[in-house]
Amino acid sequence: MEDWRRIDIDAFDPDSGRLTLEDMRPPYGSHVSLQELQPKISQLRSAAASGDFKTAVQIAMSDPPYSADDATKFQYLLAVLEVLTQVRQHDISTILGQLSLEQQDVLVKYLYKCMSIPEGQKQGGILLSWFEKLTQEFGVGPIVRYLSDKNTV
Amino acid sequence: MSQSLRPYLTAVRFSLQAALTLSNFSSQVVERHNRPEVEVEHTSAELLFAPMHISRNEHEQVLIEPSVNSVRVSIKVKQADEIEQILVHKFTRFLEQRAEAFYVLRRVPVQGFSISFLITNRHTETMSGAKLVDFIIEFMEEVDKEISEMKLFLNARARFVAEAYLGEFVY
Repeated sequence: MEDWRRIDIDAFDPDSGRLTLEDMRPPYGSHVSLQELQPKISQLRSAAASGDFKTAVQIAMSDPPYSADDATKFQYLLAVLEVLTQVRQHDISTILGQLSLEQQDVLVKYLYKCMSIPEGQKQGGILLSWFEKLTQEFGVGPIVRYLSDKNTV
Repeated sequence: MSQSLRPYLTAVRFSLQAALTLSNFSSQVVERHNRPEVEVEHTSAELLFAPMHISRNEHEQVLIEPSVNSVRVSIKVKQADEIEQILVHKFTRFLEQRAEAFYVLRRVPVQGFSISFLITNRHTETMSGAKLVDFIIEFMEEVDKEISEMKLFLNARARFVAEAYLGEFVY
């Protein structure tokens, strides 16, 4: 028998009161599937392709697919990453100025998430300048709200 | 400071500022224990906050893992070639063996990173939070310089040794 003294018996006790990541997830009414999300992704891409990054970022940052599964979230993340990296440096401030409070919070989530995947790490420079402009504009507030937000992207 | 280093350090600075709001928090599992929750293996999920990943490129990254009473900061130092890999390994190991002198240094880095710091509520209570952030930022600035300086010295020394040694065979 393996080291039985080290077995965490509380994990098997349903009354232990210990919460797992599953318990922390907010209850979502419905789950967004990839098919439902596809129109939004293509809307994003077409807005970015026509050079209208302000609209593209606005669309991307409103109503993100919190309730979707990881694969769907990842597809959406790639689309968002594509939009964020296409924006030119000097346009970032103007786009940021028009984001609402909720949209700022969502943007922070996507910036951190993008920097944690290899696709985003290749584009680190532009993501970091987004981040810098964001902190110049709004300070540390959106990051503090990011920390305890259980709605993940 | 180079153009792309500044946003990187700014991002780390702001993320650390946000994460360094720690409070004293006793263990919920073991009575009269008080441990950094980010290091506890079977901890409750409500005590951990969203991790923050900041990357300049594939080789230079920072991972900040906040929890209710502790923050773990892991830094991946730039390692362009094998010499730098060895130098970074030796350098961080040298520091880690003297971890008590640094208070916030972790003895073993987190998997995939070069060096890790563990800041607990004890540290933020006895030291100034802003200075702790400054320390980490300064460390990140200095370590790159230090490594490239060591690499230059190493190459110069290797060249000198090789010339002195192989000079014997020149007629």
